[in-house]
Amino acid sequence: MIEAAGIIAFFILCASGALVGLLTPRSQNPWVVAVLGAAAAVAISVAAAAALFVGRAYAADLWSLPFAGTLHICLDRLSGLFLLIVGLVYLPASIFSAGYLRRYLGHYSLRAFTVLYFALFASIATVILARDVISFLLAWELMSIASVLLVNYEFEVDETVRAGYLMLAMGEGGTIAAALAFLILANAAGSLDFEALRAAAVSLGPGARWTVFLLSFFGFGVKAGLVPFNSWLPRAHPAAPANVSALLSGLILNLGIYGILRVNVDILPASLVGTGLVALIVGAVSAFVGILYATTENDAKAMLAHSSIENMGIVTAGLGAGFVFTAAGRPVLAGIGFVAALYHLTNHSFYKALLFLGAGTVDFRVGTRDLDHLGGLIRPMPWTALYFLIGSLSIAAMYPFSGFASEWLTLQALLRSAELPSTPVKLVFAFTGVALALTAGLAVTCFVKAFAMGFLGVPRSRRAQEATEAPASMVAPMGALAIVCLILGVTPTFVIPALSRSLESVGNGHATAALVPAFFSHSADHSSLPADFRSEFHDLGAQTGESFIPGRGLVVLHRGGTDNPVIFAMSTSYGVVVLIVLLAVVVALTRWIARNRRVTRARIWDGGVRQLFPEMTYTATGFSNPVRVVFDAILRPRTVEDTEQTVAQHFRVAIRRTREPTHLIDRLVLNVLVTHLTRFARLLARMHHGRVNVYVAYVLGTLVGALILSLIL
Amino acid sequence: MHLRIAEQISEQWATNIRVHRDRRGLRYEVQTGSEALKALCTWIVATQELAFGGLVVEQDTSEWLLRYLFYGPEACRVDVLVRQPLAHPQFPSIGDAVHAADWHEREAEDLFGIVFEGHPRLGDFVLHDDAWQEGLAPMRKSFNGREAPIQRTPNADWRPDRIVHAPGAFGMPVGPVYSGVAESAHFLLETVGEDVIRAQPRFFYKYRAVEKTAEGRDAMDALLLAERFNGITAFAHGLGFAQSLEAIGGLEVPPRALTLRVLFAELERLRHHTGAIEGICESTALVVAASQAAILEEELLRLSGELTGHRYLFGLVIYGGLSRDFADADLCTAVARAQGILRRLLALERKLTRTSSFLDRLEQVGIVTPEEAHAFGLVGPIARASGLARDLRVVQPYGGYGDYAFEVPNEREGDGYARLRILFAEARQSMRIIEQAFARLPGGSVRSANAGLPAGAALGWTEAPLGAAFHWVRVDARGAVQRYRIVPPSFVNWHAFHLAAEAFAFQDFPIILASFGLSISENDR
Amino acid sequence: MTQWVLSGLRAGVRTTRYPAWPDDSPGLSPGLPSGRALVAGELARVVDRCPTGALIRQDHRVVVDPRRCVHCLRCARGEDAVNWEPGYEWAIMAENANRGETAPASFGPAFARSLHVRVVDAGDCGACLHEVKQLANPYYNLHRLGFFITPTPRQADILLVVGPGTDQMRAALEQSYAAMPTPRKVIAVGTCALSGGVFSPSFACSAGVGSIVPVDIEVPGHPPPPLAILHALLVAAGRASPAELVAAPVDRATSERGTTPEHGP
Repeated sequence: MIEAAGIIAFFILCASGALVGLLTPRSQNPWVVAVLGAAAAVAISVAAAAALFVGRAYAADLWSLPFAGTLHICLDRLSGLFLLIVGLVYLPASIFSAGYLRRYLGHYSLRAFTVLYFALFASIATVILARDVISFLLAWELMSIASVLLVNYEFEVDETVRAGYLMLAMGEGGTIAAALAFLILANAAGSLDFEALRAAAVSLGPGARWTVFLLSFFGFGVKAGLVPFNSWLPRAHPAAPANVSALLSGLILNLGIYGILRVNVDILPASLVGTGLVALIVGAVSAFVGILYATTENDAKAMLAHSSIENMGIVTAGLGAGFVFTAAGRPVLAGIGFVAALYHLTNHSFYKALLFLGAGTVDFRVGTRDLDHLGGLIRPMPWTALYFLIGSLSIAAMYPFSGFASEWLTLQALLRSAELPSTPVKLVFAFTGVALALTAGLAVTCFVKAFAMGFLGVPRSRRAQEATEAPASMVAPMGALAIVCLILGVTPTFVIPALSRSLESVGNGHATAALVPAFFSHSADHSSLPADFRSEFHDLGAQTGESFIPGRGLVVLHRGGTDNPVIFAMSTSYGVVVLIVLLAVVVALTRWIARNRRVTRARIWDGGVRQLFPEMTYTATGFSNPVRVVFDAILRPRTVEDTEQTVAQHFRVAIRRTREPTHLIDRLVLNVLVTHLTRFARLLARMHHGRVNVYVAYVLGTLVGALILSLIL
Repeated sequence: MHLRIAEQISEQWATNIRVHRDRRGLRYEVQTGSEALKALCTWIVATQELAFGGLVVEQDTSEWLLRYLFYGPEACRVDVLVRQPLAHPQFPSIGDAVHAADWHEREAEDLFGIVFEGHPRLGDFVLHDDAWQEGLAPMRKSFNGREAPIQRTPNADWRPDRIVHAPGAFGMPVGPVYSGVAESAHFLLETVGEDVIRAQPRFFYKYRAVEKTAEGRDAMDALLLAERFNGITAFAHGLGFAQSLEAIGGLEVPPRALTLRVLFAELERLRHHTGAIEGICESTALVVAASQAAILEEELLRLSGELTGHRYLFGLVIYGGLSRDFADADLCTAVARAQGILRRLLALERKLTRTSSFLDRLEQVGIVTPEEAHAFGLVGPIARASGLARDLRVVQPYGGYGDYAFEVPNEREGDGYARLRILFAEARQSMRIIEQAFARLPGGSVRSANAGLPAGAALGWTEAPLGAAFHWVRVDARGAVQRYRIVPPSFVNWHAFHLAAEAFAFQDFPIILASFGLSISENDR
Repeated sequence: MTQWVLSGLRAGVRTTRYPAWPDDSPGLSPGLPSGRALVAGELARVVDRCPTGALIRQDHRVVVDPRRCVHCLRCARGEDAVNWEPGYEWAIMAENANRGETAPASFGPAFARSLHVRVVDAGDCGACLHEVKQLANPYYNLHRLGFFITPTPRQADILLVVGPGTDQMRAALEQSYAAMPTPRKVIAVGTCALSGGVFSPSFACSAGVGSIVPVDIEVPGHPPPPLAILHALLVAAGRASPAELVAAPVDRATSERGTTPEHGP
C-alpha cells in the first residue's frame, strides 16, 4: 500500500538524515539536509496525497503500553491534508537550506541543526498521525522541544535565547491545558484512544463541554498564535534562521489549528453556540492586532510574524463560523466555514513560507532585515523580487492569487450568518466581519510597504547597493512556492472539493455540493438541483467550458437559503484568463501606438535638486506613520529618547528621538502574568529558608496528606 | 539715555568713539579691537534697546573693515568698527550672543573668505559646495566678477546636513523647482512621517551677485540695480539707495519730491500687502477670497501703471528726487481709486474673519514667539506680529515720515492669523499716510537742482513692505560705486523661518510659507 | 459660506476680452520704446542714456532692441525722447527656435486648444514671476483659453523661464527641460531672460537663459505685462502670430553695451 510505504520510507529517511548528518563532515551537512530532507518530504507527500485524493485510510497499531493502552497512528483524509502541506512546505525549505545554511558554517553546529531538523520533521508528522492521547502528547512535546531548540539556534544573541525561553514556557503552558482537555475526555471515556474518546464524548454535559473547549482552544491556541497567549510568536519567528521561520509559520502554527480541529470537530463536535462565538471573537481580535503591529513594524521577519498572527486569526474566525453553524444545526454552512478555514490555512502555509524564504534571501545577501535600510533590490535581485511580490500579493488577498479565494470564502461564510435566528449571534458575526475587513485593508498597506520599501526605490544603505542575486538553490524553491500560490488561487473549484473531502472523515463533507455544484457533469447530481437554481447559474455562464474541462466547473457558486436567496459567485479561473488576455491586448496596443515614438529614459523628477540622496526618499517608518498616528491609543509608544543638542545657544546640531511601542498583548497579558507569577514565586521562595527542621516537617506533612487522600478516594 | 552711551562705552572698553549728529539722527561710531567686539555687541543689544541691523564688510587697500550696524528708537544708531590687516581675516564670531549676526557672518565667510572664529557652521551658504569650490571669495577685489572662473571643482561628496537622528527619519526635498508658480529655493523637511521635525532651507539659488556687479558702475546705473534686484518692492529699495547717495552728497530733496516719495512708497506697500493677503488666501485654498484679493491687487497695479507709466514703479526714484512730476488731477483720481480699493479690502477682511475654516488653518500655526523674534532680530510685519513693534519710519524717521500721523500695529501671538491681521492693519495705515501726503502736497520742483556726488560713504534705509532695509554705499570721486551692501528684510526674516515650520504637518508648510510672505529674490540678491 | 458665493457673484465678470478684442485699459502695459528717425543735426544723445544698449544708432535711425530694455524710462523723458508705444503683443520667435529638435516645429492641431505650462524661476527679481501669477486672476484668467500651470515638468508642454539664468539654478533648469516629454517649447519671459538685463555680465548669472536651454519664443519687457505673456502662450499654441519687433538682427555677443563709462574694479 502506497500510504504505508510512504510513511515507512519517510521515517527511515528522517532517521537516516539525522544519522548521516552526524557522520558527514560539517560542510556537507547542508547537502544532507537538502537531499534527504527533500526525499523525506516527497515520501510523506506521496503518502498524504494518496490518502487525501484516493481516500484509503491507513491505520496501524504501534506498541502497547501497560496502563496506557495501544498507541495508534492513522492516516485519514484530514491528516492527509495536513501532512501534504507539511511535505510540500518542507520540500522547498530543505532545498533552500542548501545555500542558506552556509552562513552558519564555522559559527554554530550544523550537525545539531540537521538532527533537530529531522527530529522536528518526524515529530510534526507523528502529531498529525497520532490517534491516541499518549502518542499525540509525546510527539507534541518532542515537536515543541525541537522547535524551541531550532529557534534558539543562534544562541549567542541574547534576544534569541529570551525568545526561545518564552516560546518554551508559553508552549508548555498550552500543552498542559491541552493535555488537561484530553484527560477530561479520557476520564469520561475510560480509555486513551481517540475512537473511544469520540464515542464517549456524546454523553458529556455542557459544563464539561465548555471546559474541554476552553482548555483545548486556548491550549492549542498558544501554538497557533492566537490572542491572548501569542506574545512568544513575534519574538520567536524573527529569532530563528529563515528556513526554520518558514517551517514555524508555515507548519507549526497549523498544528495548533489541527489540535483545535481534532478536539472540537472530530472528537467533540461543537454543540454550544457560545464556543463558536468565542472562537469568532478571538479570531477577529487576533487578526486585527496582528496586522496592526505588522504594518507598523520595520523588521521584515517580525512583520511577517505579526502577519502570521493575523492569518491564524482569519482561520480561527472561519472555524468559529463553522462551530456556530454546527451548533445551530446547519451542517452545510458549517462545512463552508470549515472549508474556508482550511483553505486559508493551506494558502497561508505556502505564501508565508515563500515570504519567509524571501526575507531570508534578502538577509542572506544584504545582511539586514530592517526595511529602512533596504531598497532598490529589484535590480540586482529580480527573481527574489518577483517571488516576494507574488507572496505579497497573495497575502494581501489580491486577485487572482490564493489569498483572495480563501478570504473571499471566509467572508462569505460570515455573511451567511444572516440566516441564523439569534440577533446577538449575528452581531458577533458582524463585528468579526468588520474586523476582518479592516484587517484586509491594513494588510494591503503592510505589504505594499514591505515590497516597495524593500525592493523599489533607491538603496538606502551601502549593503543594499552592493547586493547580488542569491544562488539558484535558494531562488528556485521560492519560485516553486510562488507557482503553488498561483495555482491554489486560480483553481478554487478543484481545491474546495479536496478540502471538503478531507472534512468528510470528520463528518462534514457538505461543502462541495454547496460551493461547487456539479454543474459540468451530466450525472444525476445535475437533476437534483432545483430548476430555477440551474437557470440562474446558466445566466452566470457557469457552464462555460463544460465539454473539455474536467471537474465540476470553474465558478465557485453558492446560493443562500430559501429565506435568503442571493447568489454568491467567484471565478478566479475565468478571471485569470481574462486578465492575461487583457494584459496581452494592452501591451500589444501600447507597442503598436508607440511604434514610431522615440522612448527616452530620463532621471526621476525630484524638484531640480542636483542629486537625490537616499535619505531624501520615503522610509518604511514614514510610510506607515499615518497608521501609527491613527491607532496611537492602542499602540501607545513610549518615548525612549527625545533630546536636542544645541551649540552656542541657538545652533541646533542634533535632534534625537526614539519611540518604542510595547505590544498591546504584552501590556495586557504577558506583563501582568509575569508580575503575578514572580510575586507568587517570591511567595513560594519563602519556603526555602534553610531551616532543616521545617523541611522535615514538609516531608511529614506531605506523607500525612497523601495518606488522608488515599483514604478518602 | 543715548547721550550716556558714549560715556559708558569709553568707561568700559576705553575705545575710540565719534559722535555724529545730523538731520537724520544721532550716530555713534565706535572703533574697537577684536577682543572687545563680542562683549561690546552683546552689551549694546542687551542693555541699550538697540537692535542689530547688519554687517558691512569692506576691503580697503591694506585692511579689512567690518562695520556692525545697530539701530534703535529715537533715531539713535551705533556703528561698531573692527579692522584687521588684509593677510589675517580672522574675527571673533558674535553669533551665539547676537544671534541675528549668524547669517551675516556666514555670508561674509562665503563671499569674502573671512573666518569668524567660534561660529559652528561656516561654509555652503551663498555659494553651494556642490556647485562651487571652497575659497572662491568672489567679493574680494582681486576676483573678476564679470566672468565665471574656468576651474570649477565642486565637492563631489557633498551631502545635506542632517539634524534629526531618529529611526526611519528622512528629509523630504521641496524645490528648488516646486509648486505652480513659486520662487526657487530648496527646503529639506526632516520628518519621521507626519510632522516636520526640522525644516532646513537652502537659499541663494537665485544669487546674482548684485553687490559685486554694482562695483565699478556709475552710481546712477547702480540705482537701477537697487530697484531691480527685488522688483515687487522696487520703489522702497530704490529709495533706500537714493537716500544713501543723498546722505553722501548732503543733498536736500525738495519738499514736493519728499511728499510724493512718501505717497508712492505707501502705495507700493498697499499693493504689496494686498498681494500677500492674496497669497495667504490661495495657500489655504479659499479660492473666492484669493480671487477677490487678486482683483484688488491687479487694480492697484493698473493704478500704478496708469499714473507713473510702470506697474511696479520702476524708473521713478532718482538721486535728488523723482524723475517726473504729476498733475494734481491725476493724483487726485489715483488717491480716490485707492481709497475705494482699500474699502473693498477691508470688506474682504471682515468676511475672512467670519470664515472659521480659513481661520482654523492660520490660528496657532507657524508660531514665532516674541523671544525668538527678539533673539533673531526680526523686522517688518512678521516681527510686529510677534510683539516687536519696531518700524523704521518711527524709530529712524526718514524722508519726512516724522511729520505724518500713523500707527504701527502690533500683535503678540506670532501665528499666521496675527501676521494676516498685521497686513490688513498696515494697509489701513498706508492709506492714511497717502491721504495725508496728498492733502499736504506742496508745489515746487521734484528734483534738486545741483545734483553733484562727491566721494564718501553713507547708510540709507527704508521701511520696505517686508521690513527694515539698509543700503550702504561707498562712491569714489568719479561717481562710481566702490562698495554696495544691501541688508534686505527678507534675509533677516528667512533666518527665523525654520522656527515657524517645525512641529507642524506637511500640509501646513505652504500655509506657513505664505503667511510669512517673504521674498527669495530679495534674500538672494 | 454663502457670504463668499454672494460676494463672488456681486463682483461680476471682469475678464478681458483679449484675444477676441484688443484691450486698451489704462495701466495694462508699460509699453515699449519704438525707434524713430533722427532729426537732422541731432546728436541722438538719447542712445547714450540707455544703460543696457537697447537703443542702437543705425544709419539715420535709432532702432530699438526690446530684448535689452529694462524700463528705466530715461529715454522716455526729455526733449530727445523716444516714442513709447502702448501695446502688449510682444512675443517674438527666437532666432534659432526649435533647434536640435527633430519633433515638429509647431505643436500641431492636437495641442492648439490646451497647453500645460511649467514655470521655472531662474533667478528673477520677482516682478516677472508676479506678472505670471496675475495670469490666474479674474482679469486675465488664462484657464478660459485652455492654458494650465502644472507643478511637474513631466506633464508640461511649455517651459516658461523667467530670470537671467543664475549659475546655481543651471542644473535645476536643465533638469526641468530634460524632464519634459516632446513636443515641448521654451518661452523666455522678460528682458533678464533674454539678455541678462542689468545683471550681466556676471560670474553668477548668464546673459539670458538661452545659454542653458534652447529658447523658442521670447517675450521682452521688464516685466512684460500679463497680456504679453498670454500673447506668447497663444503664439506657442499657434493661435496668434508673433510680433515683428526687432528692426534689425542684433548679434548679442558683440554689440556694445551702451556707452555708459565703466570704471575699473
